[in-house]
Amino acid sequence: MIAIVLYVLSGIAIALLSGIAKGSMRRLWLGAAVGLLIAFVAFPFSRSLGNLTRETVNPTLLALATDFPWLFGLPVLLILTLLIARRGGPRGAWTAVVTGVATLLAGLVFYSQPVHLVRLAPINGLMELLTALVLLGAIGLAAWNRPRLRWPLLAVGLVAGVLAFFWLNSSQGGHTYLPNSAGYYKLLRPTPAGANLQLVDAYNAGLQARNQVAKENGLALAEPIQSLADLKGKIPAEAANQGYRMLQPSRLQYGAFAVFVLAGLMLGAGLLHLRNLRLEETGDLQAGVVLASVFSLLLPAFNATEFNPAKLVKGWPFLVQFGQKAWPPLLADPSTNRFPLQEVLSFMTITVEIALVGTFIAALVALPTSFLAARNLTGASPWMRGVFYFTRAFYNVDRGIDTLILALILVAAVGLGPFAGVLAMAIHSVADLGKLYSEAIENVDKGPIEALESTGTAGVNVLRWAILPQVLPLLVSYTVYRFEINFRVSIILGFVGAGGIGFFIQGAMAAGQYDQMIIGVIAIVIVVNLIDFASSYLRSRLV
Amino acid sequence: MGKYRTAMIEVRNLSQTFVSPKGSFRALEDVNLSIPDHDFIAIIGRSGAGKSTFLRTLNGLLIPSEGSVVVGATDITQLSKRALQKYRCKVGFIFQQFNLVNRLSVLDNVLHGRLGYLPTWRGLLGLYTEHDYEVARAQLARLDLSTKENARVDSLSGGQMQRVAIARAMAQEPALILADEPAANLDPVLSEEVMRTLRGFNAEQGVTVVINIHALDLALEYAKRIIAFKRGRLVFDGRPAELSDALVDDIYERKEMLA
Ligand SMILES: Nc1ncnc2c1ncn2[C@@H]1O[C@H](COP(=O)(O)OP(=O)(O)O)[C@@H](O)[C@H]1O
Ligand SMILES: [Mg+2]
Repeated sequence: MIAIVLYVLSGIAIALLSGIAKGSMRRLWLGAAVGLLIAFVAFPFSRSLGNLTRETVNPTLLALATDFPWLFGLPVLLILTLLIARRGGPRGAWTAVVTGVATLLAGLVFYSQPVHLVRLAPINGLMELLTALVLLGAIGLAAWNRPRLRWPLLAVGLVAGVLAFFWLNSSQGGHTYLPNSAGYYKLLRPTPAGANLQLVDAYNAGLQARNQVAKENGLALAEPIQSLADLKGKIPAEAANQGYRMLQPSRLQYGAFAVFVLAGLMLGAGLLHLRNLRLEETGDLQAGVVLASVFSLLLPAFNATEFNPAKLVKGWPFLVQFGQKAWPPLLADPSTNRFPLQEVLSFMTITVEIALVGTFIAALVALPTSFLAARNLTGASPWMRGVFYFTRAFYNVDRGIDTLILALILVAAVGLGPFAGVLAMAIHSVADLGKLYSEAIENVDKGPIEALESTGTAGVNVLRWAILPQVLPLLVSYTVYRFEINFRVSIILGFVGAGGIGFFIQGAMAAGQYDQMIIGVIAIVIVVNLIDFASSYLRSRLV
Repeated sequence: MGKYRTAMIEVRNLSQTFVSPKGSFRALEDVNLSIPDHDFIAIIGRSGAGKSTFLRTLNGLLIPSEGSVVVGATDITQLSKRALQKYRCKVGFIFQQFNLVNRLSVLDNVLHGRLGYLPTWRGLLGLYTEHDYEVARAQLARLDLSTKENARVDSLSGGQMQRVAIARAMAQEPALILADEPAANLDPVLSEEVMRTLRGFNAEQGVTVVINIHALDLALEYAKRIIAFKRGRLVFDGRPAELSDALVDDIYERKEMLA
């Protein structure tokens, strides 16, 4: 309950702060309305339990609305608000206030509902349909900019969408590979009268047989129950299998956070808007939609990443302890024959050397191949066009495979040590360098090319004398920049055993030798800055 | 004079159509012309009349949609890439924007005129022959650029850059020089200088010169022969003296503006 009050207050506070800055209030409550609509259909609001943890279903407000039909009033009100908002003026602001209060009340009323039994009603084919529509939409967008191909492409999109839907929605197809997608979106239905008692009776009837098994396995025996409440929110396994769940209205999920904050925001912004009717601007709807979209992307992401400052508070003592152990650094301990500073220096040297060799090899391969990936040099024949697309495709795939992943594989292939790191770095950097190089080549001044062609110079010599001198400073500059990045990559390579300072840090950390590890950290900070400085100095001299 | 001897150029039924997504455009329409050895031709016409297109067709930078350009006995529009490169060695092209390689030295740029004569591998390594250096230095001296030999091109003035470009073309020891508005980016004094230089090459060494030019006065003063294009068609071909004011007005479509 306190949480709800805090949520609502923070929504109001956002409105107030933005009001002090004379920001548009209509934008805020419009954004809140759009956000609430999204939350209504897409964000889990509360929780319902089965027998096992994985049987838990977190219903959205839309899913709950089939249990509490009055919840359907919310989207109606929200859409009404959006429609009235187009006019602006006091009427819109009033609607915002009313809708904000109504949302708040709806949330509270739902929150105070008792724990009770519900039954799942999966909507079959919904996720499959949405995926197919996304595919159609993507092709449709691509089609829209190509007037001549518009209708053929749309037809292709339609066919692809229909095929995708049927494949995704078939048990041999999508449901084999993506089993969760079958009936992913589940509505909650009220249970018929007497379902509770039936389940209790069934549980008690099966008790003896289950206890028999439990006894043989030396497990605790279960008692007969008077009502499902005796199972503390859970329900018997058979009931869960039949699609029953125990709905816990007060166990709020992040959707509830969204609903209460946005309700507070809507209320606050509506009231401030009423007080000062000039707080509206043209383009409020678009801005509101953008705000709502950003909010709706961020909120599930925060939830998924288990963002939780409380954990940081809990972990604070460790950080303090770490700090105490790490300082002062242990530079050397001759009595035990340990010389961490010297170790760090040699590890740091190898880290730089990995970056040097990796970048150099990458540049060596990227230089010739980048000419094949330059659009302006490969238009002569269909064959050359093919080479162009192949090289570009190679770059694009290679760019997607991170150095660290390559290093993991190569360590397995060539063994622990810097060679794996150098190889991984070289392979990945070819793509990045090649792409940059080829873009530089595509942007050269065409005049000198034409001039050399008209002196009767052969193709490769045109490359050599008209293009290379133009792009060389840029290529060198890109290479230096890539070295700078690669040095930072090479720090991490040690963590997967591919050589470098990361190896030292990982070892020291695992052994609890924080006073040695800190030397590595300090060394990294210094060298990273030195290299950044040197690199930008070099590059500023080049171009 | 002997080394610059070439054959007559015969342009027959030349047409050029550019096809773009917006539609096709006829830039040259049935042009017939012959260019004898040692001629000095100025091509005049409004912007967009097809002058550059015509000039580019003469050295194979553009392949015409129809018609032929016969040099001696060969039609250069039918040549293979290699044979075309060989032909171009003897044709110097001077651009309005100079089209020099800015980061290289003056001498390097002039030596580019010799690349066509070198085997490819020597070209790649920049292994020019003694003779190449002699030719390049001679042209630099002639264009009063000897002291700038090692300067980077991007440190030069516009007039100097155009002289480097001319030296590069002359280093090819060409039989034909094509110049596309070589003086349009220069002030009047430098423009005259460029024209005098080209006339010098024509008079002393017998190089055939075909030049596109904006400025009618320069064309009349320096050219032996004037050719006029109007909307892709050849509308005049004769000596400067034969060009009447009425014709000029017609070529430049000036009638309405005067009225
Ligand atoms: N590569 C090309 N593609 C399409 N149109 C072109 C191309 N080159 C020239 N043109 C068109 O042909 C016409 C003649 O151009 P150009 O020969 O450059 O004229 P001029 O040199 O007399 O000013 C112009 O209208 C120009 O837009
Ligand atoms: Mg032109």
